[in-house]
Amino acid sequence: MRLRAWAWLALASLALKPLRAETRPRYGGALTVEAPGFPVSVFETLVRWNRATIEPLLAVAWQHDPDYKRWRFSLRSKVKFHDGEPFTAASAVPSLGAALKATYPDVAIEAGGQALVIKSSQPMPDLLDLLAQAAISRNDIGTGAFRIAARDPQHTTFAAFEDYWGGRPYLDNVTLADAAGAHGRADMFDLPVGPQRRIVPEGWTTWSSVPKTLLAIEGARADPSVLKALALAIDRAPIANVLAQHKAEPAFGLLPQWLSGYEFLFESVPDVARAKQMIAQSHPAPVTMDLPNDPFLRSVAERIALNARDAGMAIQFKPSGDLRLVELPVETTDPASALALMKLGDRPEVDLTKPEAVYQFERMLIESRHIIPLLHLRKSYAISPKVHFQPSHDQFELHLEDAWIEP
Amino acid sequence: MSFRAKVFLSITATVVLAVWIVAAVVTALVSQSFERTDEQRTAALVSQIQREIERRGADVVRRVEAVVSSDVAQRLAVNLGGRVDTSQYFGQAQMLAAEQSLDFLELVGPDDAIISSAEWPARFGYKEDWLAQSPNWNAQGAFLRKEDLADGSALGLIAVRAVKAGDGFLYVAGGQRLDQEFLASLPATGGIRFELFRAFDPTGSANPLVEDVRRQPREVTRVTAASSVTAIPLRGRDQQLLAILLIESSRAELANLKKYIQGTAAAVGAAGVLLALVLSFWTASRVTRPLRNLAASVREVALGKWDTRAKVSSSDEVGQLARDFNGMTEQLVAQRDRMIQAERVAAWRELARRLAHELKNPLFPLQITIENLQRARASSPEQFDEVFRESTSTLLAELGHLKTIIGRFSDFAKMPAPQLERVDVNQIARDVLQLYEAQLTAPGRPKVEAALELSAEPGVVQADPEQLRRALSNLVLNALDAMPQGGRLVLRTSGNDGRVALEVSDTGEGLTPEECERLFTPYYTTKLHGTGLGLAIVQSVVSDHKGTITVRSQRGEGTTFRIELEAEASGR
Repeated sequence: MRLRAWAWLALASLALKPLRAETRPRYGGALTVEAPGFPVSVFETLVRWNRATIEPLLAVAWQHDPDYKRWRFSLRSKVKFHDGEPFTAASAVPSLGAALKATYPDVAIEAGGQALVIKSSQPMPDLLDLLAQAAISRNDIGTGAFRIAARDPQHTTFAAFEDYWGGRPYLDNVTLADAAGAHGRADMFDLPVGPQRRIVPEGWTTWSSVPKTLLAIEGARADPSVLKALALAIDRAPIANVLAQHKAEPAFGLLPQWLSGYEFLFESVPDVARAKQMIAQSHPAPVTMDLPNDPFLRSVAERIALNARDAGMAIQFKPSGDLRLVELPVETTDPASALALMKLGDRPEVDLTKPEAVYQFERMLIESRHIIPLLHLRKSYAISPKVHFQPSHDQFELHLEDAWIEP
Repeated sequence: MSFRAKVFLSITATVVLAVWIVAAVVTALVSQSFERTDEQRTAALVSQIQREIERRGADVVRRVEAVVSSDVAQRLAVNLGGRVDTSQYFGQAQMLAAEQSLDFLELVGPDDAIISSAEWPARFGYKEDWLAQSPNWNAQGAFLRKEDLADGSALGLIAVRAVKAGDGFLYVAGGQRLDQEFLASLPATGGIRFELFRAFDPTGSANPLVEDVRRQPREVTRVTAASSVTAIPLRGRDQQLLAILLIESSRAELANLKKYIQGTAAAVGAAGVLLALVLSFWTASRVTRPLRNLAASVREVALGKWDTRAKVSSSDEVGQLARDFNGMTEQLVAQRDRMIQAERVAAWRELARRLAHELKNPLFPLQITIENLQRARASSPEQFDEVFRESTSTLLAELGHLKTIIGRFSDFAKMPAPQLERVDVNQIARDVLQLYEAQLTAPGRPKVEAALELSAEPGVVQADPEQLRRALSNLVLNALDAMPQGGRLVLRTSGNDGRVALEVSDTGEGLTPEECERLFTPYYTTKLHGTGLGLAIVQSVVSDHKGTITVRSQRGEGTTFRIELEAEASGR
């Protein structure tokens, strides 16, 4: 399964315009990114997902007992925090404890030099997933390639960490700004999903990720028969092509096809007639739905209401409605971890390395949480020709520590 | 009702009627005029609104054509000729609609599918089949249409233009809402109110006029005292009823003006009536014064003042009447004088006749006696002494008789004024009856039954008791004289309403009406003997006491004489 995903990513990256590999990287320069929330490496974790595998980051090796109740991690040496303090096992304990106790309340973390032992009375087979999300910080100071240099309401400036254990990044500074803070001088900006058009200057490139955010309808308070009829009435293709301007793909499962490989098993075609019949038989009361503030999500909600009307179902927009649109990010390229990280339900105690188990897990989540998947959204950016990224087969995310800028 | 009052009321009624008629006619004419003006105003307003809607329609057409001419629309039309991803035009309708201030705008492709919708963006891809129904949109003006929206429906003034796009057309359908904001922009002076009812609203309307037009679409105007409401049906392209425009025109101003005019007319009318009242009163007074004076003069004549003269104050018929009245009274006075003179003469003649008759009786025996004396002296001197003795006796008796007659006449001539004192009439009646009681029961005389029917309440009058007794005695004597064969004599007293009555009734032969009339004429008598002065004396006494005497009699049943005197006031 992971191999299939990995192959998909490889093919996807080959289809995109190459990032000018002949240009040599150079140190220096400042990059302005008009994309609030763009990930910048300030805090690091003990491990991280890279493609389909967990790889070492601040932890270099680990072992666990057969029951997954006791884990031992060897930490990377010569790692410093941004204030110059060395990174030790002891300094990691507070961050880890806060992150792990939510899942394993009785977790105990023992620090000794550069070694960490994490114990719990319960098996912790997903510890690595959790550690991949647990940022290590000490007094809000991280160990990442960039440190926070300045912050105000319109922008945040990051400076390169000279003593970064992975090597100083190429860029001296990165400024994340909103439209007002960028003053029209962004080197890279976000291309939002939706009909809001942003002109990409001539010569710029666009980078789109694989579909990695699920947009779905969550209807835990709605009548299950109504949800079934609604799922039959919704035509996803026009939403993906027109409202999302092709920056999304119709979604039938929680995970995109490229990740799970089995999404096609959830696929269905719109059947308004059958939906109408189901509604005629059940005579439901009008269904309420939250109306989002975001223009794109609002247009999706209105389209869904129109599809529902075609099936004879009335949807009224009200706060705290029976239905709401939710965005569930796909955080990792591991299907089981990605499902778990959607926080829709507890991870089952089965071997989720097998695709069949993951499929059942996903199906259970869809049914138990009354989810109607709609779209898998891509993330897109327009990138100035001055900005370069290290060649990467990863279409999942852009890493600024791999970027450099021409003068 | 007096003549003056009748004249006054007649003139007043005439004037009031005239004023009322004039006021009614003026009010009616004013109302008609105002109604006509109101109708004309309403018609002008309706026409103005229809022109405004047409103008708006022309404006919508112009804006839609501007959209058609825009780069976006032209580019889309060109691209539709080939394979084009229309999703990139998804948001264009909203932008173009904002530019042209249109509430509705849809870009519809040759397949009748919506490419972009400003009023309902989520409706992209849905079909607008109605656009293919018309072959030539570019020659048509704006029309009304029900537009479906996400939150309901709206009424729009829509225009459609078609642009060649490949083998088909790009349809641009745009328009503006016809809603309260549109109504607010309509030209409306004070007192005008517009209301728009959409025929497709499921709730309907509580307005009966709206429901009436909804059932049978046509222009209707309903007029009440407060307002005039015109309902205009607004139809779509297919003549289906889409909305009803109500134009309510307040008639308050009209009503106020009418009230003002009516008030003024009423005030003027009231003033006129008041003036009429005054003038008619004055006129009636002036017109009727001569007649009133004349009537007063007539009353005075009726009261006995025959020498009354009516004032002649004009030369018209009333003046002539006054003059004739004066002439009449002059004649009456003259006739009265002549009659008095004649009655005096008749009375003197009667007196002379009676005197002659009365005197003749005793004078004849005197003459015979003296002639007897002369014959006896001449022919029988030896019997002269005896004849002389008989004759002188006879002479003395007859002379006594003459003396009595002359005494009676003298008494009647010089009856004194009454010496008034408090007199009980019951007592007078008793005294008089007592006086003649012996005579009533004298032997050899036919029996006369006497009776006293006296009032229980004593009737007290201010009178001369002697004269009253004398008058009553005369009546008793007359009554006795009227019953030579006997009968019943009743003396009766009574009192009523401040008057006291004394009655003497007999059961004699009675009197005829003619005899009753002449009864109180001095020297008139029905008796063979008598001076005829008795009743005249009674009448004289009664007159001196300011009383009245009447007689009622029935032939064969008897006669009753009634004296009425004013009773003495109580407490005296």
